[in-house]
Amino acid sequence: MGKALLKLVSTVGVIAMTAGAALASDGPLVTTEWLEENLDNPEVRLIEVSVNPGVYERGHIPGATNFVWHTDLVDPIRRDIASKEQLQDLLRQAGVDDGSTVILYGDTNNWFAAWGAWVLDVYGVENVKLLDGGRVLWEAEGRQVSTTPQEQEPGDITLAEADPALRARIGDVVQASEDGSSAIVDIRSADEYSGKVIAPEGFKETAIRAGHVTNAVNVPWSQAVQEDGRFKSPEELKELYAAAGIDGSKPVITYCRIGERSSHTWFALSKILGYDVKNYDGSWTEYGNAVGVPVTNLAGTVWTGQ
Amino acid sequence: MTLTSRPFVAIFAALALIVLYLNLPDRDALGRSLPVSLLLGGAFGLVLQRSRFCFWCISRDWFADRDPRGLLGILAALAVGIIGYAAIFGVWLPNPASGRLPPDAHIGPVSITMIAGSFVFGIGMALSGSCISAHFYRLGEGAFGSVIALLGAFIGFGLGFLSWNTLYVLDIYRAKVIWLPTYLGHGGALLVSLGLLGVAALWLLCQPMPAQPEDHRFVLARRWPAVVGGILVGWIAMIAYFRVGPLGVTAELGSLARTSADAVGWLPQTLHGLDSFAGCATVVKEALFSRNGVFVIGMVLASAVSATLAGDWKPAPPAIRTLPRLFIGGLMLGWGAMVALGCTVGVLLSGIMAGALSGWVFLVACFAGAWIGWHLRGK
Repeated sequence: MGKALLKLVSTVGVIAMTAGAALASDGPLVTTEWLEENLDNPEVRLIEVSVNPGVYERGHIPGATNFVWHTDLVDPIRRDIASKEQLQDLLRQAGVDDGSTVILYGDTNNWFAAWGAWVLDVYGVENVKLLDGGRVLWEAEGRQVSTTPQEQEPGDITLAEADPALRARIGDVVQASEDGSSAIVDIRSADEYSGKVIAPEGFKETAIRAGHVTNAVNVPWSQAVQEDGRFKSPEELKELYAAAGIDGSKPVITYCRIGERSSHTWFALSKILGYDVKNYDGSWTEYGNAVGVPVTNLAGTVWTGQ
Repeated sequence: MTLTSRPFVAIFAALALIVLYLNLPDRDALGRSLPVSLLLGGAFGLVLQRSRFCFWCISRDWFADRDPRGLLGILAALAVGIIGYAAIFGVWLPNPASGRLPPDAHIGPVSITMIAGSFVFGIGMALSGSCISAHFYRLGEGAFGSVIALLGAFIGFGLGFLSWNTLYVLDIYRAKVIWLPTYLGHGGALLVSLGLLGVAALWLLCQPMPAQPEDHRFVLARRWPAVVGGILVGWIAMIAYFRVGPLGVTAELGSLARTSADAVGWLPQTLHGLDSFAGCATVVKEALFSRNGVFVIGMVLASAVSATLAGDWKPAPPAIRTLPRLFIGGLMLGWGAMVALGCTVGVLLSGIMAGALSGWVFLVACFAGAWIGWHLRGK
């Protein structure tokens, strides 16, 4: 009897603990504490998407696999997201199974990790989460890093066909601009939005018109995060976007310059607030070069080829 | 207070190092540690100064006296560095045939321009009396001639940028970036590189060794044997690659030249392909402290501390008649280092250690240039 009771108590305890761990990762974000406790969890697969070279190699979160944005998550030949086969291969090599929880993180405020989350969402991968605060917060908190990649047992994940509902194409953006069927959020800086500059400092222009998609509202991505790089609370986010007229009552399209920072806002609106959001990965480098599309250029900057 | 007041110079340089160390930002834009870069620069400056690890002095010792000691020091540095890099590569990029290159490693394009740049760099080394890294450590010995040579190098960099686009469309566009492990595997590349160095070392060791005058100075003031310097350089190179980035001494000088030339509007809007090549990357400066900038400052200051304490601080203004030679030599150093994407440190040492064909090509072409330069100077 005593033994049976002990067994019951311990079973309940294990269930409670497992449930606790699962609960902590229920949302779209995981905390650095949660991740540290779950580094050895076989259900969890950790993937770093950093854009600066050598960042992963000189110290990554133990057990993380490295995805290179410029070649792994996009098609390196034509401008497109990675193909289903390419991505499925990569995920299998990273040990991702159909039931795995995939945690993404990276440098530069998780922009490229958020791109990864968006692409995985397009291909129907479930249980994809971001490490809130990214590698900057992990490092700032002095948590352990490793320089030795771990070979993973190949996984068995199967991707679905790409879901066009998560991706805005230029036609969708033009239509939304003209008929207001979707709200459009430009997440670039105020100076890019107004057309004072065509590209942020340090970047080549890569667009020959300044300004923004007509009828887009401007909420720079950085307004969605706290000082330490973590997302603001859902309530604060709701308020922030509502103030710009984005309240989830109609579908949303996010864009930036090349589609990676807008993935970050896509994540906030779609995953944290649960709105219906498409990311426009063509972004300003496509739209600002397109012929005959509606553009608003408040500053009036004229591209002169200089 | 005079310039020869040794304790003052040593204390000043040491204090400057400490103050800088305590006030540096923790990381640069890529997240690399700036204080670590400063310390590694200090270690590099100390070792170069103590062991007289100067590519021109070493070449001249061989040309004039057939003294192989310095060359053996370079071989030792390369051997240690090659092993260290291979140890890191094996973990960072287990499959060298994947088509990717190891991050940051100085694996540059091999082109006719690059060979010409290395050759001209060799001549510039002979004319100005040092390569760029040695001019930096000599600053710490009070060598004012090096100021003239470095000024020449600064302008030479500007000329390099001006000629870059022409050279790019004529030649560099088709250059191949060749990383030996892609073709030979990690083990094969290690074996071939160490084999080449071993054969060279054996041959040098079989040459009659000229007698060296005995050094009667206090033990701490004596120069370190070149091989000891070389081994330490190899270690510093490996630690630097692991923690901060490959050794190099021209990125900051080149960046300053590029920023200045850009600011006065001398440079074309675009330098074709330049920023996509691995090497001593020059960028238009956006931050005051760069990892290469603090590395070079660390080098000069630590060399000054070391030189003054050991009695090697001998400030002397260069003779007027040598100024044109120093300046023109400097110009050649700058132009050569720009079009070759680095110098004896960034391409020769860091390239060969990384298994880059460009490193070996630089070694041969630069040595040939130095030999011609030695003849030009009338031996």
